[in-house]
Amino acid sequence: VIASNPFALGTRLPARVEEPADAQRVATLLAQAAEAGSSVVAFGGSTLQSIGNLPRRYDIALSLRRLDRVLQYDPRDLTIGLEAGITLESVAGALAAARQFIPFDAPLPRRATVGGTLAAGWGGPRRAAYGQLRDLLIGSTVALTDGSLAAAGGMVVKNVTGYDMSKLYVGSLGTLGVIVRANFKALPQPAAQRLAIAPLGDEVRERALAALTRLTIEPTAALVVDGFFERTPRVHQEDTRLVIVFEGSEVVVDRATRDLRSVLGKSGVAETLLFDGATAAAVLQDTIDAYIEPIEDRSITYRSTGLASTVWERALTARAIVLAHEARYDFIADVRTGDAIVRVAGKTARRTADLLNEVDAQLRDALPAITVLAGDPRLRSQVDAWSAPPSTMQTLRAIKERFDPASTLAPGRFVGGI
Amino acid sequence: VATTFARRLVEALGSDVARTEPVDLAAYGYDGYKEGGNPSAAVLPRDVRDVATAVRIARECDEPIIPRGAGTGLCGGSVPVKGGLVVSFARMNRLLELDVANRRARVQPGLINLELSNAIARSGVFYAPDPSSQKISTIGGNVGTNAGGPHCLSYGTTTNHILGLQYVDWSGEVHRTALGDAGYDMTGLIVGSEGTLGLVTEIDVRLMRLPEAVRVCVAAFGDVESASEAVSAIIGAGIVPVALEIMDRLITQAVEAHYHAGFPAQAGAVLLVEIAGPLDDMDTGERLIARIARDHGAVSWRAARDAAERAVLWSARKGAAGAIGRIAPNYYIQDACVPRTKLPEVMLQVERIARDHQLQVGNVFHAGDGNLHPLMLFDRREARQVQAVIDAGSEILAACIALGGTISGEHGIGYEKRQSLSLVFSTQDLAAMARVRDVFDPMRAFNPDKIFPTGAVCGEVAASNAA
Repeated sequence: VIASNPFALGTRLPARVEEPADAQRVATLLAQAAEAGSSVVAFGGSTLQSIGNLPRRYDIALSLRRLDRVLQYDPRDLTIGLEAGITLESVAGALAAARQFIPFDAPLPRRATVGGTLAAGWGGPRRAAYGQLRDLLIGSTVALTDGSLAAAGGMVVKNVTGYDMSKLYVGSLGTLGVIVRANFKALPQPAAQRLAIAPLGDEVRERALAALTRLTIEPTAALVVDGFFERTPRVHQEDTRLVIVFEGSEVVVDRATRDLRSVLGKSGVAETLLFDGATAAAVLQDTIDAYIEPIEDRSITYRSTGLASTVWERALTARAIVLAHEARYDFIADVRTGDAIVRVAGKTARRTADLLNEVDAQLRDALPAITVLAGDPRLRSQVDAWSAPPSTMQTLRAIKERFDPASTLAPGRFVGGI
Repeated sequence: VATTFARRLVEALGSDVARTEPVDLAAYGYDGYKEGGNPSAAVLPRDVRDVATAVRIARECDEPIIPRGAGTGLCGGSVPVKGGLVVSFARMNRLLELDVANRRARVQPGLINLELSNAIARSGVFYAPDPSSQKISTIGGNVGTNAGGPHCLSYGTTTNHILGLQYVDWSGEVHRTALGDAGYDMTGLIVGSEGTLGLVTEIDVRLMRLPEAVRVCVAAFGDVESASEAVSAIIGAGIVPVALEIMDRLITQAVEAHYHAGFPAQAGAVLLVEIAGPLDDMDTGERLIARIARDHGAVSWRAARDAAERAVLWSARKGAAGAIGRIAPNYYIQDACVPRTKLPEVMLQVERIARDHQLQVGNVFHAGDGNLHPLMLFDRREARQVQAVIDAGSEILAACIALGGTISGEHGIGYEKRQSLSLVFSTQDLAAMARVRDVFDPMRAFNPDKIFPTGAVCGEVAASNAA
């Protein structure tokens, strides 16, 4: 029963599910819950609900799925106003008609919503090229627990009118308010997209990665994928693959591909597979889906953030720790953004649970900025989702108290138990 | 007679850091918008410890604290309104670290914007935000107002280029924030908060790789409206160049008289376009944009021949406001933003408003962003003219709001526009902002009388101005 309930969090089910049809109703529900001392967890498509700790209390599931409209879109402005519950796929569809896009780069876009993706603070592989979602977000409206709707920013691309409150809500995991509207800068779609996959054996790796940084035309994404075979194709039976995306005009993408093949060839890379257009987009999306994909009920996935120059070292450190415990190890090292995604799985759920405490402690020791991204709820509840609180923790706590004095919103989900 | 406050500052920091003589203090009582009164004291800290010491003393003496970069702000943001302590970051002006591989640098807030770019140019990277004041304005000041600039069209404003901060809070404690941190985005909140949340003492900036090729082109139009139509059409066609700037005839002539940059001085309006990226895209990019420009009435089009000519064009464009000094004794520059499709309409309205008030207006603006800067000429000695400028400024803001725009694109709210903030935001919107203020600055120590409207807009907002 629990596993099939879309609003289950770990082993807990909500007492009530609310699916309001408009923003004002969301605010009213929050005020009523605060008044009654109930706790509320906001739901988009439940794709990133695995981020953060399980809330201390869980009474009401607040689904945003009925707030699914495009509110304002004149393609000539290159801006779009969206309700928070709209799926990423629907947004992509609306924008594609005018050859525009927003690089959400989030897993499972058919289910994932704009509000959920923002609240999770999601950052995908192409953000090094196109900017983070927070940089493309030009305005927002949130429902707060006092029953108010608070807007910030607007529908213009430059704005210093009052505090940039939208930044506060991005990545706040629904602990301060519930995002009901988001306005974005859209980007013109590049004429061509090409994805290259190359085998990256140990003997060529160092030279190949160094060569990448010297490319005149920079890739919009550059990932080293080890494992995740169900999502990212294998090349030449090699476990480690380089996944590169180029976007731009046809002539530039062609030149970039030639340059890439040449530098990889000189580094000793045997062959580069190329995918174009829709196929390229599908392979990239599959790889992004892998970030949160579990192996049955026996895996847990971490994200380590840091400087791009250290990502490979971090991935290797994590590999050594996991392999020492005879567990399965998959990883993605994003050499442009510095993200390392590490999935750990034992042969059985029981085995993973047994080795997890030690692996978790060692990973945290070796990689300071590490958080839990996905995995089986029982495994996740065994460890802290967050690394050590930042030096501003006192301020974060005060902000939470000021916005959500009754701890109505996902209490305990966020860092430091806020 | 030295006050206790002044005496304590000098005792703790020395008379080189702490300035308390009226003759010295006069240098800290103005910005590009207004002259306020003198502060009670000013400090020129050498490091973060000096900043923290000054903050503690100011708090104990109940004096407000006003941070200051180069004083080039255009909305009274760094002007002391009721005395207080001005903290000038002029001496904290060093580039602390440069990490080319990870494209980041750590700087002190007093570092001048252009000096950063000059210092790192040979490393193949640059710092993108380039306000017209970049030759004198500081990165710290730019962080305060989330400054823009011509190249923000494709690169984004200051907030998109700040990776982390060190700041001193109201109690004198030092904190560090970084974008990758778990927790709420403190960095994003502080950028653009105009010095009301804390004193920023170090800044981690994102650097970008220099493009392979750059091309700067100049088109001449019959009037501002047709140039604006061309800009809307370029953006509407899904082309986002690096910069799309318009200057009208008044501005172009003033600029030419001063810089001899080669702008077509007889044109009704000039469009300055920059494209950048892979070499292979330059010719097609230019052709495409030039065709749209011609379709919308461009009568001439030319590309700068080399880097030197590009530099002259940009230098002249960024010096436009200064060049106006030749024409009129005073000018007032307005800053507002509209959705890009509304640009032609708002420019017609600006023209009408100026006519109604018998004002001469020059326009020099970031057209591609829908960010207008009408520049109204007047003589401060003529009370009627001063009033006309104030009235016309308000009408332009109202027109922008009516078209779905906002009252500041890149200069900030500061002292000047705080009463207008409630034209854009509801009491509830402002109350949420005031909560952030409450947390960061419960004593209203930092830059009071800025951003938030006075009066009973709502309990929280009114309280924020009581101190």
